[in-house]
Amino acid sequence: MARYAMVTDITKCVGCQACTVACNSEWDVPTGFARTHVHSTGVAGKFPDVISSFYVAQCNHCDHPACVAPCPTGATYQAENGIVMVDRDLCIGCGYCVEACPYDARYINPVTKKVDKCDFCWGRIQKGLEPACVATCTAHAKFFGDLEDPQSEVYKMVYEQGARRLETAEVAIGPNVYYLGKKEHVDLLLATFPPRHPRLLRAGEVWHRYLKPFILAAIGATFLGQAIAFFHQLYSGEDQFEDWE
Amino acid sequence: MGPKFSRREFFRRSSAAGAVGATVAATASAEVHPPGWRGTTRVETIATNCEMCFWRCGVRAEVAHGKVLKLEGNPDHPLTKGRLCARGNSGPKLLYDPDRLKYPMLRVGARGEGKFKRISWDQALDFLADRLTQLKQKYGPEGVAFFPHGVASTFFLTLMRAYGTHNIAEPAFAQCRGPREVGYALTFGQGLGSPEPVDLAESKMIVLIGTHIGENVFTSQITAFADGLSRGAKLIVVDPRFSTAAAKADWWLPIRPGTDIALLLAWMHVLIGEDLYDKEYISKYAQGFTELAAHVKEFTPEWAETITELPAAKIRATARAMAAAKPAVALHPGRHTTWYGDDTQRARAMAIVTALLGSWGRKGGIFLPTEIKTGSFALPAFPQPKRPRADGAGTRFPLASEEQGVTNGLVDATVSGEPYPIKAWIVYGQNVLESIPQRSRTLEAIDKLDLMVVVDVLPMEQTYYADLVLPEATYLERYDMPQIAHSAKQPYIAVRQPSVEPLYESKPGWWIAQQMAQRLGLEAYFPWKTPREHLETLVKPLGVNIDKLLTRGAVTFPGRPYIEDRLPEDGPLFPTQSGKIELYSPLLKQLGFDPLPRYTPVDEPPVGYFRLIYGRAPVHSFARSQNNAWLDALMDENTAWINEDAARDLRLTNGQKIVLENQDGVRSLPIRVSVTQGIRRDCLYMVHGFGHESQRLHLAYHRGASDTELMTRVKVDPIMGGTGMRVNFVRVLKSA
Repeated sequence: MARYAMVTDITKCVGCQACTVACNSEWDVPTGFARTHVHSTGVAGKFPDVISSFYVAQCNHCDHPACVAPCPTGATYQAENGIVMVDRDLCIGCGYCVEACPYDARYINPVTKKVDKCDFCWGRIQKGLEPACVATCTAHAKFFGDLEDPQSEVYKMVYEQGARRLETAEVAIGPNVYYLGKKEHVDLLLATFPPRHPRLLRAGEVWHRYLKPFILAAIGATFLGQAIAFFHQLYSGEDQFEDWE
Repeated sequence: MGPKFSRREFFRRSSAAGAVGATVAATASAEVHPPGWRGTTRVETIATNCEMCFWRCGVRAEVAHGKVLKLEGNPDHPLTKGRLCARGNSGPKLLYDPDRLKYPMLRVGARGEGKFKRISWDQALDFLADRLTQLKQKYGPEGVAFFPHGVASTFFLTLMRAYGTHNIAEPAFAQCRGPREVGYALTFGQGLGSPEPVDLAESKMIVLIGTHIGENVFTSQITAFADGLSRGAKLIVVDPRFSTAAAKADWWLPIRPGTDIALLLAWMHVLIGEDLYDKEYISKYAQGFTELAAHVKEFTPEWAETITELPAAKIRATARAMAAAKPAVALHPGRHTTWYGDDTQRARAMAIVTALLGSWGRKGGIFLPTEIKTGSFALPAFPQPKRPRADGAGTRFPLASEEQGVTNGLVDATVSGEPYPIKAWIVYGQNVLESIPQRSRTLEAIDKLDLMVVVDVLPMEQTYYADLVLPEATYLERYDMPQIAHSAKQPYIAVRQPSVEPLYESKPGWWIAQQMAQRLGLEAYFPWKTPREHLETLVKPLGVNIDKLLTRGAVTFPGRPYIEDRLPEDGPLFPTQSGKIELYSPLLKQLGFDPLPRYTPVDEPPVGYFRLIYGRAPVHSFARSQNNAWLDALMDENTAWINEDAARDLRLTNGQKIVLENQDGVRSLPIRVSVTQGIRRDCLYMVHGFGHESQRLHLAYHRGASDTELMTRVKVDPIMGGTGMRVNFVRVLKSA
């Protein structure tokens, strides 16, 4: 079985955002959102001894994805080839997975009201195409392939050239997007964009954020209805019912 | 044994059971995430080339139901091989920009007021033909000036030359690569052309002086640069700013602005003084070495250190590193090179270093163009203008290109009426208020005009001043002159053909030019009916199957990029007067200029001021793309980069809005500060192209600040007329 992965060679990446726009265009991502995006680390150090690099953010298709368990409908699942998929027919747009992702790789699409994220361009892969970001990358810095295949570029980059995952001691869930570059640059990426702790919604949060507003709204609607009926009666008088008897 | 249901499958089955809500949701998601739409919808792909900038990468437009769904890179394109930058990918947002110019318009209000009335194409073209005929009678055809840009303007060029004017100038020369072309032609006998023939992918040492590859994105150049680096090329970046390229460099030299020639002279000093230059190459191909050696003897790295503020040891180390990689040294000649008014001499110095390293015509250095001979129509000769050019090309600026002209020379002539009055401007494919510095002077010139015509796609600020605005179809809706790239390693011809019909009442440039020619009695200059006929004639001698060309988008021919590949038909290796590389330039001597480059100090910023420097962002093209929704989402304003220590002294915080005031009291729109350790204390950097003044650009209007607006001064290169623009100084005001 394949184990798909992506490697960004940050010695080559120039942060040009071609990948971002190609992805937006491929997937009709609403303006202002992104399935992949490039961030600059900014300049670190003191003039003239400074460094900087680029971070290409996207879904990491983790070995132990933090987004699958919180999904109440099972819309988010991991395929056998490692790709974390979203079944849009099942997604209810609750956003639990968005909170859970340590890499902030998900967003709720304001048009469909469903979650959206990178799926390594599964639709293109099935047609024998490269993912849109890889195909367009001006710096020839993005590589996609199968980590189970020792002949693949990504295999060589990961197992022979030392491409690294963005993991910390606290958050290590096996991301399958790797970064190849000088140690100081990958360290800078990790320091600037460390994975955050997954925000799993606790019972209390579910109460505060979802149940309580719903119940309050229901109670409010009940009182409002009563009030309307009361004033309606007050002004238009009580209906005189004909006595059928 | 019952079937095993996962939670997911359970939900799938229950939703498939027929809930109305699920059907609605599924329809919506099909629109937004067309799952497999490539398979289900019949998508036609059309090969063409991009015009989001002038690099013209290969594009495949995916079209269905008369609409461009997506632009993909064209893998058959020899240069860009299927890759497209952010701008290239954003083409559909230009095509479907709701702010586009939609129909011809005639000005009814005052110039600059922006009041127009809609007219028909017939009215517009008749009006223009009448006015051009009157102007010719009153002022002569030379009284009409033409400001084109790029290969798409070919048909208008023919029209204007046929009309009888030679007052034609595009900013590509005097605001961009003119000094480079002249400096290299003086040395090697030929300029570089576009795309730049720099062998980055094969290089062992890449040297960038001010060139900010990475922020300056030309797809194939980025690919070659990055591939070169990943194959182990070393990188030297000379830039007062810590650019994207500098962040990848083995040596970053944060030079004091305006002192590049001193650094180059010191490099020559080391290469010659330490016997590190390519002796065989120089003795075989160059003349003037003795004079050069004597000239640079005094320019030690220690001397250069006092001028450039770069440590002498670093200057020496970089010179030695270059020599160790010779001849595979790609010293990039740059592109926008009009900086300080001594730019031709700086280009000369770069060319000389290239020669000393033996890199011209060598693998990993600068490769050589290969001419491909296209067909042409037998046109009547263009009328010979009776008066000399008004822009000074060939006279006031002896080495300016007469083909590309001097835009600022035309502005000067329009303002002064000397040597004769210029009374009409026709502008095509550029925005004169952004492309030419000294905007108030440009406006002063426009004020003197009887007629200003703008052919454009978007309502740029210049349209506010036009008498007649003609809406052109975008590059995705029109045929253009194909790109014939002699300067690619493997030369090629690439077509531009319409992917969809022009929207609104916009029309392709070729149609407008042809219609005008008919009205002016100049049909003989357009002896073809359809674009296909035009293309057939062009490619006839190449033996290319035209259907194959139109399907693939481009056809490649064998190149002879290195000296050892050259054939007699390629002509002399160094077409200078002497037939050799002219390290010492007899021509410059004869014209009264320094025959060897010399460092002359530039003006320093007054106390409290920064030098204003500017450059590009990877997601925008000049001042053209700020209204593109996808690109706007990535970068909707520019920022002012200020060194952290300088910012602390001024009590500025990151993200704070400021106003910049230049040495002449001109103030910018508000702009945010980017506080950074990645720039010298003495300069302030911003990306060019923001601060649009046209209210009809709904996304771009008043976003960020315009560097052009702050360029009230220029230093003109006396050799070729280029406007040095890095001679302006700004100070920070905390509020307007």
